[in-house]
Amino acid sequence: MVVAFLVAAVSAAPHQQADALLAYQRISGEGSSWAANALEAMRVNVQSNKGMVVDYNPSGSSAGRKNFLNGTVDFAASDIPFQFRPEDGSAPENPAPDSYAYIPVVAGGTSFMYNLKINGKRVTNLRLSGENVVKIFTGKIKMWNDAAIQADNPGIVMPARAVVPVVRSDGSGSSAQFTKWMITQYPALWTEYCNTSGRAPACGFTSFYPTITGMIAQSGDLGVAGYISQGFAEGAIGYVNYSYALGSAFPVAKVLNAAGYYTEPTPKNVAVSLLKAQINTDASDPAEYLTQKLEGVYTDTDPRNYQLSSYSYLIVPTKVAGQFNEAKGKTLGDFAYYAMCEAQQQSESLGYSPMPINLVQASFDQIMKIPGVVAREVDISACNNPTFSANGTNTLATKAPQPQACDKKGYASQCPNGTGGMSNVQTAVKAVATTGGGSTVTTVKAGGTKPPAGSATGDTGPVGTDTGTVDTVPTGDGTGDQVCDPTVSDCSGGGGSSQDGPSAAEVGAISPSTLDQASGWTVSTALLLLVIGLTLVLILAPALVWRHLANRGNE
Amino acid sequence: MSGITTIPAAPDIAAADHAPRKVKAARNRGDRIFYGGASMSGALVLSIMVAVGAFLAYEATDALRATGLSFLTTSDWQPDRGKFGIASVLLGTVLIAAVAVSIALPISMGTALFITEVCPKWLRATLVALVDLMAAVPSVVYGLWGLFLLQGQIIGVSRFINTWLGWIPIFKVTGADPNSPLASSTVYTASAFIAGVVVAMMVMPIQCVVMREVFSQVPIGEREGAFALGSTRWGMIRVVALPFGRGGIIGGTMLGLGRALGETIAVLLIISPRFDINFHILEAGGNSVSSLIALRYGEATGFGLSALMAAGLVLFAVTLVVNFTASWFVARSRSGASSDA
Repeated sequence: MVVAFLVAAVSAAPHQQADALLAYQRISGEGSSWAANALEAMRVNVQSNKGMVVDYNPSGSSAGRKNFLNGTVDFAASDIPFQFRPEDGSAPENPAPDSYAYIPVVAGGTSFMYNLKINGKRVTNLRLSGENVVKIFTGKIKMWNDAAIQADNPGIVMPARAVVPVVRSDGSGSSAQFTKWMITQYPALWTEYCNTSGRAPACGFTSFYPTITGMIAQSGDLGVAGYISQGFAEGAIGYVNYSYALGSAFPVAKVLNAAGYYTEPTPKNVAVSLLKAQINTDASDPAEYLTQKLEGVYTDTDPRNYQLSSYSYLIVPTKVAGQFNEAKGKTLGDFAYYAMCEAQQQSESLGYSPMPINLVQASFDQIMKIPGVVAREVDISACNNPTFSANGTNTLATKAPQPQACDKKGYASQCPNGTGGMSNVQTAVKAVATTGGGSTVTTVKAGGTKPPAGSATGDTGPVGTDTGTVDTVPTGDGTGDQVCDPTVSDCSGGGGSSQDGPSAAEVGAISPSTLDQASGWTVSTALLLLVIGLTLVLILAPALVWRHLANRGNE
Repeated sequence: MSGITTIPAAPDIAAADHAPRKVKAARNRGDRIFYGGASMSGALVLSIMVAVGAFLAYEATDALRATGLSFLTTSDWQPDRGKFGIASVLLGTVLIAAVAVSIALPISMGTALFITEVCPKWLRATLVALVDLMAAVPSVVYGLWGLFLLQGQIIGVSRFINTWLGWIPIFKVTGADPNSPLASSTVYTASAFIAGVVVAMMVMPIQCVVMREVFSQVPIGEREGAFALGSTRWGMIRVVALPFGRGGIIGGTMLGLGRALGETIAVLLIISPRFDINFHILEAGGNSVSSLIALRYGEATGFGLSALMAAGLVLFAVTLVVNFTASWFVARSRSGASSDA
């Protein structure tokens, strides 16, 4: 009876997906867990909309690059390029020249997610200077009420809790980006830590974070975020991609930038920051082409800059080798086209920043190098990428609101607004005396019309192709300057609240790309039933056979 | 086979050795097929074991040649820089296994005795099935359970032990301050103890099955004899069941130990890896050979892989010794002859 039911189920499945399934080969990728949330969303969408099956294993950038070199996966995702000359004493990676190409696929901020409470109420507005971040992750600052951290947070009273840094235990691109930043900005602190943690003399940036007693190491962004978000982990702070903080509904620390503002790695701030990323544009050298140099980001003096912003890359093969063939190349090419165009419009809602137009265009040339790819004329304006504008500026960066005055270093208190996944939860802050003159109550210009300093193209007009050109509209004309006093009301009326999400106009411009067309019977439904049936058979069959034999034996 | 009965010559008692005469049975086809199949399976198991050992040894040569015996005494893991060894990792493995076994032993022994001696008949089958079901739960499920449910709940136990028994070195926790209400609980998390508790849940069913098997074979005569002499149920268990099942208890425990040593994914999920010698089982951080391999296998290249293989080889050897010891104990005991351990 079960069998009959199954046969009926299978034959009832429509064949509409069969063509799509045949048209694409199943491809597999591995690597960055930092970028995994974006890649996972793309994977789900291409599977349900195009019938393209892409497997992605977020096992860390190092594992992704290694398995790409071994030829066990068709593509890798990595936050850092191949390490020809690793600075941490690990073995160099030597991909064959001209056998691979980089495609920048997603931008984001490495954020510091934390679990901290004051009087049983979760802190959501923690601020940290770069130096304090380094001191926390090198074991120099051991208590949250350390004077240095208290100085960063004049509005709240830091609790006397132990600081528990949570780092990555696997080989990770986030660790590499983070240590690179520490080495560049605070070389003395890092060298000292490198010596105490037994890594000297190989003190360069490393994918394998050195640990000392008191630190917790977990595998993958998910492991780090999972540890921090547990009830017992009060006092823990770890580095994960911003999207994981959103997913875990936990706040992230605002980090002090060169302009003297504490900023959050919102997609908009990341877009602003990455205007200062130097992209290697020498197409003749595939080992370097499109890779990033982030030193300019670390020292950017735009008030909206978030220092730890970076790109993550797809590494795709440019030659047929091993298990990779042209049929897979066709699928990978289509996936890459999707990733660079349609997929970018949902990046922001996931906590990532979409690719700017110059990198998208360069990526299309890179995609052409994949063997077997079916070239496409992509109408870039149809991608609905929120960064695109008619004149080539990064609309997202142009629209990014200026930070609030209460986020400035030197302000007597701090913003009460929440961050990350807890943007809707405010933290009570110390009142600022309003009698002290104009310096304590500060005005914030709404609308975020300040041109990004040194924009890549030098053009600053916020003329967009989509309708979302105005972010936060000040009420009435001439009232663009709003008084922001965090003690009496929240500052969300000002332009600083980048956490309000896209405005209504913006939402209208973005068309949702996830469509569930699979209603009713599908192949997967039938397969699911088949699996359930087989499992039942597997469980019942031995018992039935046994009973049958036993009965026969009795006769 | 002429069917002629031969009359044996009178035995020369002085000269004959007392060995029994050899029985030679002609095998029919069914027997031959079965005999061939069975011996082939046996040989296959052996050859697979040998092949695994040989492969590990071969792959590990590079690493072992580079470090020599210091592989066993170094506590660091940077193979590409030539600084690696499994002193701390092996210690962590043993600590986790020891915690697991010392928790699983009383539970599994109690469960086995309850099932065979105490529990009403209608409950017995259910309990047996439940224990078997525990063995069938995938280890990653135990790992996630330990990570997201148990870890938060067991911190209180860790703190209790540390507060009252902290003067014993292995229960010491660096950085813990039981007197401070604001002290962070994280020093008690991701520890060998918590990993050990989770592994205990996984080895318990195996131990329980072996022990139950042995206890169920306690001769009915001895059992009833004890009762007839006025023994209570506990008295009977103490003087009849436990001595009879000693081999099974030891054997089952060591089989569990063998599994505990090799448990991977649950440990990987819970523990925070560190490479210095840390024998404080309640303190955050530890390591085990198998979780180290699982963690670093993905990104290791060439020499690093060889180093992992060397670690695997050591674990393989340790597990082999433990399991052989277990089967020796079981076979040697009174109950062991028919036990399946």
